[in-house]
This record gives sequence, C-alpha cells and structure tokens, in this order.
Amino acid sequence: MSALLDIRDLRLGFKGLRGITEVLHGIDLAIAAGERVALVGESGSGKSVTARIILGLLQEARAARVSGAVEFDGRDISTMPARQRAKLRGTEMSMIFQDPTSSLNPTFTIGRQFAEVMRRRQPEMSREACDRRASEMLAEVSIPDPARVLSAYPFQLSGGMNQRVMIAMALVNHPKLLLADEPGTALDVSVQALTLRLMHDLVERHGTAVLFISHNLGVVREFADRVYVIYRGRIVEEGPTRALFDNPGHAYTRALMSAVPRITGAGLPEVPEVSDDFLAPMVRHTGGAA
Amino acid sequence: MSLLSVESLSKTFQTPSGPVHALRDVSLSVERGECLAVVGESGSGKTTLANMILGILAATSGTIRFDGRELPVRRGPEHRRAIQLVQQNPLSSLNPKRSIGASVRLGLDTYGIGARSERWARVEAALEEVGLPGEMRRRGPSGLSGGQRQRVGIARALACDPELLVLDEPTSALDVLVQARVLRLLNELRAEKRLTYVFITHDLAVVRNVADRVAVFKSGELVETGETARIFTAPEHPYTRSLIGAVPVVDEDELQLRNTLAGEQ
Ligand SMILES: Nc1ncnc2c1ncn2[C@@H]1O[C@H](COP(=O)(O)OP(=O)(O)OP(=O)(O)O)[C@@H](O)[C@H]1O
Ligand SMILES: Nc1ncnc2c1ncn2[C@@H]1O[C@H](COP(=O)(O)OP(=O)(O)OP(=O)(O)O)[C@@H](O)[C@H]1O
Ligand SMILES: [Mg+2]
Ligand SMILES: [Mg+2]
Repeated sequence: MSALLDIRDLRLGFKGLRGITEVLHGIDLAIAAGERVALVGESGSGKSVTARIILGLLQEARAARVSGAVEFDGRDISTMPARQRAKLRGTEMSMIFQDPTSSLNPTFTIGRQFAEVMRRRQPEMSREACDRRASEMLAEVSIPDPARVLSAYPFQLSGGMNQRVMIAMALVNHPKLLLADEPGTALDVSVQALTLRLMHDLVERHGTAVLFISHNLGVVREFADRVYVIYRGRIVEEGPTRALFDNPGHAYTRALMSAVPRITGAGLPEVPEVSDDFLAPMVRHTGGAA
Repeated sequence: MSLLSVESLSKTFQTPSGPVHALRDVSLSVERGECLAVVGESGSGKTTLANMILGILAATSGTIRFDGRELPVRRGPEHRRAIQLVQQNPLSSLNPKRSIGASVRLGLDTYGIGARSERWARVEAALEEVGLPGEMRRRGPSGLSGGQRQRVGIARALACDPELLVLDEPTSALDVLVQARVLRLLNELRAEKRLTYVFITHDLAVVRNVADRVAVFKSGELVETGETARIFTAPEHPYTRSLIGAVPVVDEDELQLRNTLAGEQ
C-alpha cells in the first residue's frame, strides 16, 4: 500500500539579512491512510514548519526556500499550483494549530466561522444546517453549551474552549489527513483525554490519518501508532510507539525521556547537557514503518 | 501575613445568551516565597482569577489583598510592576511589530527600572537568564519558535523585578528538556529573589514537582486545596481524583499511582 503522505528529503531554509538559515536538513517521513503518527522533539527543531509545508503554506512565503518531495494522495504538493493547494486545505487536509487564538478570527462569531469552513466543501449549505452540524461537532468535543459557543466571539471563551472549537472545526469536513500541532496543550487533562479519544475514534471511523505534534510524551504514548523524533531539523529516531518508548536508541531521545516530569514526584529531573551525541546518526526501529 | 489573599471573589460576565458565572466565592491565600498551583477544568475560571489578581478585570464582588493592603482595580505603577504575568499564549502576547528586545524593555521604561543607558544590557541579561542569546533581542517574534517566544515572555516579566509572578501555562509550549531547564530556573529565581508564584497549568506532573500547594477549580468554584504531596497521594474531592486519573503517563510507577487514585472514585 502506498502512503497517504510521503515526504522525501525535505529541506527548508529561510532567507534573512545574513543569508539563508537552514531549518530542515533532509527529512523523510511517511504516513499511511488512517495511521496516527507523532512528531516530537526540540522546541524550534522544525515540527511546525514541516506541518506548514504539508499544508502548502510555506511554499508561498517569500522568504522560505523549500525543496524535496511532499506527496499527498499521489500528488506533489510542492509543484502543484497555489490554487489547487488552497483547495485542499480545510477539505482534504486540515490543521489544528498550536495557538487557537491566532487562527480563529476575533471579529466573527464561532458559528459564522464554522459555516465558512463547511461551505468550503458544500457551498450551498444553509446557515441553519451549518449551525446544527456545528453543534453536533461541539458536543462531540464535550462543549457543554454549544448554542452559547456558536454565538460567542473567541475572546469570550476560555483558552481550552477555543482549542476544542478548533478541533471540532478541523474535523467537521472529514479530512483524509489531520495535522494537529499541540492540540491538547490548553486543555485540562480530563478533557484532553476525552478529546484524544474522540480524535482516535474519528480516525478509525473515517480512516483519517493524523500527524500529531506534541511535547507531551505521555499523550504521544497513548495516542500514536508510530513516532518520529526530530532534533535541529533532522529526524534522529523513528519507530513504533511501544518500541521507541521501551527502548529509546538515540541519545537525544533518551535525554528527552529522562526530562519528563512524573506524577510520582521525584523532584524536577536532572537536565542532561546538550551533547555531540545528539547529532549522532538516525536510529530506526524495525517492524513498524508504513 | 500572606503576600496575596483573595476573599470571597466572584466574577460574572454578562453575555447576550445570559450571565456566565466564571468564578464563585473563591477565597485563597499565597505566602511570600510560595508556589501555589492553580489547576482544574478548562473554562473553570483560572485565567479570570489571574486577570483579577493582575487588575486587568474588575471583580463582581470580593476583595484581593497584596502585602496586607486591599488592591484597587486601578493599580498604581508600583503594584503593576510588583505583580507580573507570564501568559498562556506566546504568540498573541508579543507585539509582532516590535523586536523582542523592545517588548522586554517596555516594562523597564514604563516603571523606570535601571538607568536608561543600561537598559539594553538588562534586556540582554534577562534573555540570557531564560537561555536565549542576548543578541536575539533585535529579532521579531515571528521568526521564533513557540518555545523561544515563551521564554521571551518569562524574560519580559523577570526584567521588571516583580514580587509576584502569575504564570499562566508558562512551559506548555516547550519541549520537556527546555521545560525542565525553565522550571529549574523558575525554582532558582524564586529561592534567590524570594519570588512568589501563582502557577496555572494543566500539567499535573509539573505541578507535582514545582508547587508547594495546589488549588483545584471546577465550574468557577474552588473544590479542594492542600499541600502538593497530600493532593497527589490522598486527593479528597472526586473531581481531583478524576483529574489525576486522567494524567497521561510514561512509566509503570506513574501508571500504578494513577490507577490507584482513579480506582478510588
Ligand atoms: N518565518 C520564519 N522566518 C525565519 N525563521 C523561521 C520562520 N519560521 C520558523 N523559523 C525558524 O525555524 C525553526 C523551526 O521552527 P518551528 O516553528 O517549526 O519549530 P517547532 O519545532 O515547531 O518548535 P516548538 O516546539 O517550539 O513549537 C526555528 O528555529 C524558527 O526560529
Ligand atoms: N470576556 C468574557 N466574556 C464572557 N465570558 C467570558 C469572558 N472571559 C471568560 N469568559 C467565560 O468564563 C469562564 C471561565 O473562563 P477562563 O478563561 O477563566 O477559564 P480557564 O479556567 O482559564 O480555562 P482554560 O483552562 O481553558 O484556560 C468560561 O466559561 C468563559 O467562557
Ligand atoms: Mg511548533
Ligand atoms: Mg485559561
């Protein structure tokens, strides 16, 4: 079976005043249809930019230099005309951003923003039908009072509620691929667990693949089938979730695991020094690749 | 005497679809040098509480005392300097048109901290304290990663030489290695400068390892407070137990503790 998403030798640089800054140094990453894949790693290592390239957003930024292949459903996103890329977003693939307040429009009600999203797929949909469908989706992410939320502006909702709104909006059109960048950070752990279960169910029901970006290794362990670890723009380890957590092979992955705070409370973990070993070659666990 | 005490605080928002009781009759106190964690349900009023402590929002009823004196809603410059915020949301809290150095410097200029000629040096020192290179001050926030921006937010608060820091999810955008460094830094700064923290977070594992006491909120109400160790070994309120029971864990010891606590529901 061919992968739904197949990224090969992806490189990215940003043009600045002092020449080009290289950010991604040749990334290979694949996701099968319906597969849940996590991308974890250092802050600033290139997780969000990778997601933005998959969405076809960075290809349009003037300062960005993107090379390599990004195939989605058999089509290369990098070489596709901008209009076609735009059509994919919000329909075939959608994204939940790290920061909900920057991606929800502050001047429109949630209900209106939902309607806009749904009409990308079904332009004729009436506002009543949109509201009905949106309420169902909001209820599925445990928003207790969908009617209030639909008539609210983002600033009238808590951070966690905005995040759940984003999740509901991203899933309402049943995309093939969901890019979720830190989707649970703003949620309380019970709602987070619930939301992940919901995302999990939707993946299974609709065969939605997920690229899940998170700093929370506990969440990753519970959610993902397979994990990629990224450090400074390079994939340093890849494998099935269980194998990677039970037996982390790369020095950077081991350092990450050791820094996770525990609810058993042994105090703040000792922080390993940044070492040259973090730049060692990639470790691949066998038996899990798509 | 507590550095901060909140007495019967309530906040109701009027909205087109009726009143929203964001906070109901909440009382709590924080000692100088203490770290109080505020945890609970999404939408339970934690940020609303923070905004009232900071004087950004007026309470519907109740009082807030700082160092024994009642705080008016309209704060003088001294109180605004003394109580600083590190925000949940690193992107919207930094002005995209300003260099990050200028954002950090704003507080220094507003409150007249340090001689004018040495303020850039202070800005660089504050950035370096949170692990960013000082020369990064010339860059804008759009070229930084989420984690880098979050550290700028912490540097900006620290530069003002505060007494009380209200931290609203200060490390949730950071990888766990950087998080551990920032938490250690926050711990050291607290000890060194006798800072007091109100630490709002959903990450209970962080709470377990940094907080002295925990306050648990649900639907605008304070449902339980206690010493951190007690909350994590013998939580009393069913909601606290259900929260701990939902924590994502990475090892067997944690799983066992979680299941024991969740099992007692
Ligand atoms: N528009 C831009 N111009 C210049 N540099 C950029 C731009 N966007 C991102 N970068 C740089 O690219 C690198 C990767 O950023 P990215 O946002 O992908 O990190 P990340 O892995 O998502 O980090 P975090 O976990 O902190 O969110 C960072 O060093 C960042 O400073
Ligand atoms: N300006 C406002 N107008 C109307 N309602 C508001 C406003 N600000 C907050 N609320 C409501 O008050 C309640 C508490 O919100 P608050 O932001 O304090 O929650 P929180 O505990 O910080 O949640 P989270 O963990 O999701 O950040 C929510 O129901 C929210 O919708
Ligand atoms: Mg990111
Ligand atoms: Mg909040």
